[in-house]
Amino acid sequence: MATTALTPAATAYRSGLYDWVTTTDHKKIGILYVINSFLFFLIGGLFALGVRSQLVVPDNKLISPELYNQLFTMHASIMIFLFIIPMLAGFGNYIVPLMIGAPDMAFPRINALSFWMLPLAGIIMLSGFLTPGGAAAEGWTSYSPLAQRAYSGMGTDLWIVAVALIGTSSILGSVNFLVTIFKMRAPGMTMFRMPIMVWTVLVTSVLVLMATPVLTSGLIMLFIDRNYGGHFFDPATGGNAILWQNIFWFYSHPAVYIMILPAMGMISEILPVFSRKPLFGYKAFVFATAGIGALGFSVWAHHMFTTGAVYLPFFSFMTFLIAVPTGVKMFNWIATLYRGQLTFSTPLLFALGFLSMFLIGGIDGAFSAAVPVDFALHDTYWVVAHLHYVLFGGSVFGVMAGTYYWFPKMSGRKLNETLGKIQFVLMFIGFNMTFFPMHLLGLDGMPRRIAVYASTAGWSQLNLVATIGSIIIATSMLPFLWNVFITLRNGEPAGDDPWEGNTLEWATTSPPPPYNFDHLPPIRSERPVFDVRHGRVADHGSQA
Amino acid sequence: MTSGTAIVVSHDDPHALEHGNRGISNPILGMILFICSEVMFFAGLFAAYFNVRANAPVWPPSVAEVGPIAEKFNLHAEPWFAATLTVVLVISSFTCQFGVWAIRRDDRKGLVRAIGVTLVLGIAFLIGQAYDYSQLGFGLGDGTFGTTFYTLTGFHGAHVLAGTIMLSVVLYRAMSGQFSARHHDAVEATSIYWHFVDVVWVALFSLLYVLPTH
Amino acid sequence: MRLKHPRNAIGVGLVFVAIGVIYYLLSRDAGGTTTLVLLGVAMSIAAYALVVGTPDDR
Repeated sequence: MATTALTPAATAYRSGLYDWVTTTDHKKIGILYVINSFLFFLIGGLFALGVRSQLVVPDNKLISPELYNQLFTMHASIMIFLFIIPMLAGFGNYIVPLMIGAPDMAFPRINALSFWMLPLAGIIMLSGFLTPGGAAAEGWTSYSPLAQRAYSGMGTDLWIVAVALIGTSSILGSVNFLVTIFKMRAPGMTMFRMPIMVWTVLVTSVLVLMATPVLTSGLIMLFIDRNYGGHFFDPATGGNAILWQNIFWFYSHPAVYIMILPAMGMISEILPVFSRKPLFGYKAFVFATAGIGALGFSVWAHHMFTTGAVYLPFFSFMTFLIAVPTGVKMFNWIATLYRGQLTFSTPLLFALGFLSMFLIGGIDGAFSAAVPVDFALHDTYWVVAHLHYVLFGGSVFGVMAGTYYWFPKMSGRKLNETLGKIQFVLMFIGFNMTFFPMHLLGLDGMPRRIAVYASTAGWSQLNLVATIGSIIIATSMLPFLWNVFITLRNGEPAGDDPWEGNTLEWATTSPPPPYNFDHLPPIRSERPVFDVRHGRVADHGSQA
Repeated sequence: MTSGTAIVVSHDDPHALEHGNRGISNPILGMILFICSEVMFFAGLFAAYFNVRANAPVWPPSVAEVGPIAEKFNLHAEPWFAATLTVVLVISSFTCQFGVWAIRRDDRKGLVRAIGVTLVLGIAFLIGQAYDYSQLGFGLGDGTFGTTFYTLTGFHGAHVLAGTIMLSVVLYRAMSGQFSARHHDAVEATSIYWHFVDVVWVALFSLLYVLPTH
Repeated sequence: MRLKHPRNAIGVGLVFVAIGVIYYLLSRDAGGTTTLVLLGVAMSIAAYALVVGTPDDR
């Protein structure tokens, strides 16, 4: 097959520090996002290990309740705001312009600004640990009155500022993605020829654009309550603590779709390549994604069923409804695999892990959508199980699949398959060992966010299993880190298209030149590179 | 004769939008989307206001509930100053649009004049708002009424301030001759932002000074 | 129904306004209704701008 590059492959990134710090190239910014997010993943993971080591045995005095509260608060805040959302934004940043045949994002300098706000925000958030009162400790959900001045110190103010900064970074990024996707597609790439990953980033960007500012408004209100004598959330003076919950969840429910949709997009790219079949039901995927995004705005109070201040039937009904488009996607992914010629490389293994684990997490959610069930399970470990099955089993496995899949494109070298499989097995086993018992713990009544439980509660064994599982998850990071290290140092060169992919990023060198493409193949379907490879479109050596 | 760059560029053909649409430029499209996010920011603030208001037995809170300061809460008794501010801002939206129309016809002097007037009116609004704050007699900490009032109008004022900074930059660039009929994205984007700020104020004014109390 | 027609793009936002109205009638929750209705407004503006703003020659 003729090479699509007119010039030799771009050299691997050996540019200096100054270049990386001042870059506006979406590929470098994407890599910065990924590296920064991964570092926060490790930090958030350390906090999780802290939580698990406190809960490993009953009546444990290892970690004080005050510190424990900070650990679970910061674990969640870091994982949500500094790991998963930016990680997916980073992959989007790298991949979306390539997939649509564009030379960069619409606003490269704003792109750089969006990135650099993140390490700053992370430092601000973590600096709470250095304050006398410690870091924010009232849960990532920051409910009043616990989040008010009377019960929390400067760590909470730092948390508020950090989250507001991250929100601004996200909003700017979403404007960038939307303008890029709508305005900068290569000729021939109509909306319905865009890869599903681009569609998921599109819908995610709409969610970010519309939902995040509501969180910002709530954060400002909380800041005013805490620092300027405000009364938004103070019932004693006419305010309303439930108001915070409503505003918070109006953002944070769409946020969970922000955290999963791009990962679903990645899976939708990987499954067709590794089953050598087209994605089943492309248009259904588009409409299902849009439907999930839209419905996601009308379910927020299902996090508040037990407050007594919620119109239950509306939210329960809407929550059940969201299962429909999600189910459509699940069936379509399975139909893509069915009768395919499967190659069980690491990206596919993680994708299969995604499908099975996200399915469990989703079914957990369907249970909770039933109000009476939720009344029993709210604020128990059932919810912790559910959220980790969708966010870890879903998003993290998706991110790992995307990492192994696109690492060759980003670095020019393929990650080692054996180490990848070892990581997958360890991570899969460790993950299920940690979080499956939590279903049972929740059903047995173990509440969330407690630092200590009694030996008579009957929860000891399962907690021990969960903690062992968490250590296995941590261990699974070692083959991954080793893999990245040796591959970058001396891995096998990948070439333009190591996986025989379908989409445009495989039509240029690995890594791509700064301007992305010397030459674009004709775009006649959602699989332009596949089309060229199989001679379905005559490649006349010029653009369409 | 077709004038220069409008927000949406189309061919002269009357059926242009159906097959000859050249689209909105990237920076202007970006500003419109950013404004959508700002709509949602104010949505959160307005939602809080409506919620707090609906939960109060009486709104504004009565003297019996919060003490003598409640007498200051009766904004409806004297809406005239705020109404003047409203008129100022609405006029400034018109003058801003005159500026946009001017540069679309390549009338650079007209642009400078119009943006200059807009900027003056914007600053007048801010000074007026500050003066109004000093005369109100209640503060941010005075119950939910004070908190919501100052948060809503304060963040609107912050947006006006940002708008006046944008107008200043546009004015400077206009005076340096940097805009033409073909290239004046910053003028279009700033004017869209300024109209948005105006619309939010009209909504705020109606809500805080005009809407019947309960 | 061509979604690409600007008029239909506005319909995207009207969905949320409709949900907001239904929500208000059922729950009488002022806060949630405000965010839903304004979400509809913002979505209509965004959808309209994106559709009108995207050139036809793709």
